[in-house]
Amino acid sequence: MWTSVIAVAVALCAACQGSEQVPPPPAKPPGVRVVDLIPVSLSGETWQDAEPFLTLYASNPKLMAASAFTPNPGGSASATAPIFVSDDGGDSWTLRNTLPSESMTADITHAVGSNPPVLYAGIIKVPDFRLNDLKATDFLSPATMTLQASRADIDQPFVRATAVSNADRVYVGLNDFDAPDGRTATVDVSLDGGATYAARRIETRTTVGQNGPSVRPAVAQDHTVYVAYFGWRANTGSNVTSDVVVVRDDSGATGATPFRRLVDPSDHLPGRLVATHVTIPWSNAPTLGQERIGSTLAIAVDPLHSDTVYLAWADRAGTGDIYTVHVRRSTDRGATWSGDLRTLTNATDASLAVSTNGTVGLLYQQVTGAGDASRWVTRLEQSRDGFATHQDVVLATVPATTPAFQFLPYIGDYNCLLTRGNQFLGIFSANNMPDSANFPQGVVYQRRVDFATHRLLDGSGASVAVSIDPFFFSVPVLP
Amino acid sequence: MHTRSATLLAVALSLLSSPAPASAQGARAALVKQSDIIFIGTVTQIGAVAVPEVPASDRTIVVRVDQLLEKPPAIALSTGDSVTVQTARSGSLKPGTQATFYTTGWIFGRGVAVREVGHELGHSPVVAADQQEAVARARLDVNDADLRAHILKAAMVVAGRVEQVRPAELAAAPGRPKRITEHDADWQEAIIQVEDGLKGARAGEQVVVRFPGSHDVAWVGTPRFAVGQEGTFLLHKDSTTGSPTTMFAGRSVPAYTALHKLDVLPKQDAPRIRDLIRKP
Repeated sequence: MWTSVIAVAVALCAACQGSEQVPPPPAKPPGVRVVDLIPVSLSGETWQDAEPFLTLYASNPKLMAASAFTPNPGGSASATAPIFVSDDGGDSWTLRNTLPSESMTADITHAVGSNPPVLYAGIIKVPDFRLNDLKATDFLSPATMTLQASRADIDQPFVRATAVSNADRVYVGLNDFDAPDGRTATVDVSLDGGATYAARRIETRTTVGQNGPSVRPAVAQDHTVYVAYFGWRANTGSNVTSDVVVVRDDSGATGATPFRRLVDPSDHLPGRLVATHVTIPWSNAPTLGQERIGSTLAIAVDPLHSDTVYLAWADRAGTGDIYTVHVRRSTDRGATWSGDLRTLTNATDASLAVSTNGTVGLLYQQVTGAGDASRWVTRLEQSRDGFATHQDVVLATVPATTPAFQFLPYIGDYNCLLTRGNQFLGIFSANNMPDSANFPQGVVYQRRVDFATHRLLDGSGASVAVSIDPFFFSVPVLP
Repeated sequence: MHTRSATLLAVALSLLSSPAPASAQGARAALVKQSDIIFIGTVTQIGAVAVPEVPASDRTIVVRVDQLLEKPPAIALSTGDSVTVQTARSGSLKPGTQATFYTTGWIFGRGVAVREVGHELGHSPVVAADQQEAVARARLDVNDADLRAHILKAAMVVAGRVEQVRPAELAAAPGRPKRITEHDADWQEAIIQVEDGLKGARAGEQVVVRFPGSHDVAWVGTPRFAVGQEGTFLLHKDSTTGSPTTMFAGRSVPAYTALHKLDVLPKQDAPRIRDLIRKP
């Protein structure tokens, strides 16, 4: 595999025209890949490609789809927005304008169907900001994805899907402002491959008038579905007091009253309170390394042993931190939870995945240092023992103060970690300066770069400003 | 893309001789309006592709770029590059044919693939400088037409100066608390002192214009206002926030918005806009 990556890199370098000297990418530990998604034909790109997301097929390791806040290169008048696709396992990526949204989306996540290359996507469409549930029967096709459902007043659609014998099941966690009684945490469930969706309300308690934006489903192979959400209980403007809640359904949410199997012992209501009355800073302004904060949440279930589920969220712990990620685990289907297995100060964008051998992966991005010396450090931690011990891989360590933000989110309100076979595969966004020191595991650029001078180059060989790019990565799972 | 109309336009253009009459320039402008990558090129292969990530079909051709006329800066495309073009209809071009290709971006990978909006057959060789001038003139026509359409839709067009910026106090919809979302616009109000009323206003008036203060991705590219800013402003009655009026100087007045990039232009554009307003 690594041989092919090097071959691609060499081929790309050879394809570059111009006189710049492009040294080979730095040496990398075996098996770790980091690939900048921006293709060589978009080498002049300077956009802030934040909030990346990744989808892959279990049955075909070659096919992947990815997204970010990347605009249609044609400009703001374009009728479509792009996704990235790879048909060689992530070594190379192309950009295709297949999303029915003007130039860009305002939110996007996606998941694959049971049969490649079906793809489901949930987007907040530009310019009307409606939720659009989309489907492509062949995501490699340049055809525009098909609209399956649409409605207004939705935030942060988060798509997961699972294969069943006769039809895909699609779960879209979202914050539905039209839900009654301010209980806005919702999962749109489709049991027929996206043909129809039913809005399932999962909040059972009184809220401050709404739930937090993040509503995150996770699906095990036995069709157990967990969903994590923030139960917002009070709001001072700059801080929200919230519970961190997990619901569960044991039959793929096929019943009339799904997501009711986990009951909290304190009030006997559905929804296990994993943490209560945490303080979450809500800041829709550059706050942590130019990033906003307020709704970091992730959940992952062991795909083969659905008793085991991991949860991560961020709040303000009150010890001089800006934002602290917590990781906890349940081994009894969410009935009881551990204390913090990991606490990561000044971190965000936590994503979790559990490999089929039980190894948990934790992707996060953390600000280290201060002022002009501060850096965004992107790490993947793996553990076989509930984080009593863990292996730590630094995927990127880049300046946190450059480039200046163009909009928010700066790098994303979320990123994405998945697993397949013996690999963790994921995507993150970061400063794209081609400096070997910034990517300790090495990096492969598709776009034109000059490592020697740390310059990005356009098609004519002229320098291009540093910006935020999406980076795909794969790391071997601990055996 | 309207394939049939594009083809008809291309045929119309191909039948015209130089210098092009006004109708040809109009047809060219229609192509330019729908295009973001425009180049003069020579067909080298039909039923073929230049890069492996694009599927070959009877509508795909390979074109060598002879001269680029327009492209977005992000796209790496140079003279001599081979571009895969999905033609509007199969069999419309033969190897060796030189034409001006009006296209939109399709697939970006190791190379560029584009969709044809239309093409304009060239004489051999195409006079590049003339064609570049013709396309540039067509782009100006398109820009003027777009701007004129915005002017017609605007309730008010003024040249003026931002005197004050303040948070907008919007009434919540009945029975619904204020939503907290990262996409919240964080509406602000700019008080603009009108120095020249071009449409629907008179010099000396003050108008209130709402704009998003949020940096969220949903509002990227939306014009912002700052105290002291001067410009020519195309103002629309506020139909976005759900609260069409605001309080100013102790009375309720209409609120306006300027959410499109064409709604905020340099002050020196006022004469051009006045001309467009007067244009029949």
